[in-house]
Amino acid sequence: MTEITKEARLLQTFANLADTLVDGYDVVDLLQLLVDSCAELLDTTAAAILLADGEGELDVVASTSEASHLVEVIQLSAEAGPCIECFRTGEVISVPDIATSPAEWSRFRDSALELGFISVHAVPMRLRDATIGTLNLLRDRPGSLEEEDRIAARAFADVATIGILHERSVRETTVLAEQLQGALSSRVVIEQAKGVVAYMNGVTIEQAFGLIRRYARSHQLGISKVAAAIVDRSLQLGD
Amino acid sequence: MTSSFGAALEALDRSSGSPAEFCRPFLDLFPVTGAAVSTVGNVLGSETLSASDEIAARLDELQFDLGEGPCWDAVRSGLPVLEPDLSRVPPRWPAFVSASRADGLHSIFAFPLAIGPLRIGAVDLYSLRPVELNRTQVRQADAMAGVVGRHVLRQALGALGRDYDDGGNAYSRRIVHQATGMVLAQLDLSPDDARLVIHGHAFATDRTMMEVAQDVIGGRLRFSKQHDAIEVTE
Repeated sequence: MTEITKEARLLQTFANLADTLVDGYDVVDLLQLLVDSCAELLDTTAAAILLADGEGELDVVASTSEASHLVEVIQLSAEAGPCIECFRTGEVISVPDIATSPAEWSRFRDSALELGFISVHAVPMRLRDATIGTLNLLRDRPGSLEEEDRIAARAFADVATIGILHERSVRETTVLAEQLQGALSSRVVIEQAKGVVAYMNGVTIEQAFGLIRRYARSHQLGISKVAAAIVDRSLQLGD
Repeated sequence: MTSSFGAALEALDRSSGSPAEFCRPFLDLFPVTGAAVSTVGNVLGSETLSASDEIAARLDELQFDLGEGPCWDAVRSGLPVLEPDLSRVPPRWPAFVSASRADGLHSIFAFPLAIGPLRIGAVDLYSLRPVELNRTQVRQADAMAGVVGRHVLRQALGALGRDYDDGGNAYSRRIVHQATGMVLAQLDLSPDDARLVIHGHAFATDRTMMEVAQDVIGGRLRFSKQHDAIEVTE
């Protein structure tokens, strides 16, 4: 891929993201599109967005793969690792070589290395002086992000923040915490829906998420809405 | 009848798990003398949580001591147990009938406290006069016992603190949510009830919710509505 096409694709992606910010959009859909775009365009192996809940605990709301081991490694990073560091300091945390990361990050380190992740970059999602979550980029080789990827990553993190805030104004709720909670609650229902579909359709949890996304896309519905219908049993997905 | 049933259900919902308020709605709705709510069996042990009078309390104590009686049958079968005429020969529960003779009761009914396949206790209703419950009344009492059962299990699990809960981190919560989805599909329950089944099963088998959830997702543990049973494979 040449630089020009990559730039063009980045622009196109941001235009798509901006298009998503219309009335009634699904914030989980937006965040999912965002992490998928990150992985595709920023030269990364996997990406995930975490949001802080009311108690300041970070929870994965979107990731490029629903495979449980990826989610687990990111969650470990949110307990003791670059993700929580980024959230606490509000700074970009770059770890060009996970193998040399501090001892107190050992659980994250071992788990990441086991999955073949060598470097990680955590970008804060900031709103004025508050950090509401982090965008995490994992790569299967060492090194820092190129300068332009670094800028693009910040832009992605900002779009994620705007997306969450914008949905807030659309719904006219007043408290940011409520909005974050809304995104996290949608996630709870999505996880439950994955379980329902996995059981009903005899597929894995990850395949179940694929079915839910495909249904949402082909019917032009938000993932959260589809998930809620699956959980209250008013919708059953075919194969 | 329907509206008073609604009121009784609502009263139980509002009771927010205070055992003192468990019995009253049953006495308001059904033509019985007294009621008692007890946990029975292995999951939460055998203990009377609430009794409307001394006879009701004593009847449950007797059943615990003797290991027989309607509350045991309700817990074992997961179904309502109806005995409108305790003087029947031969007696259904010989030791219990003989030990409770002095109290002069005529009818006794027991409804399981059950959430999905988890059976944790029973509501006993007794009457000194002959009483029959019709099918609607049986269904209503059964539904009310279900509400009581959820309160009792929630409270018992809540009192245990975080040891048996979802592990306290976001990753394990996610796994538990996924397993909740599988269980709600398996048993046709609400998400809250499905989660309660996982939580209760974790407690009953002395494991964490995360461990139970992983077994559910891995297909090693499966709750079945058809057989009202918990199947453990492998």
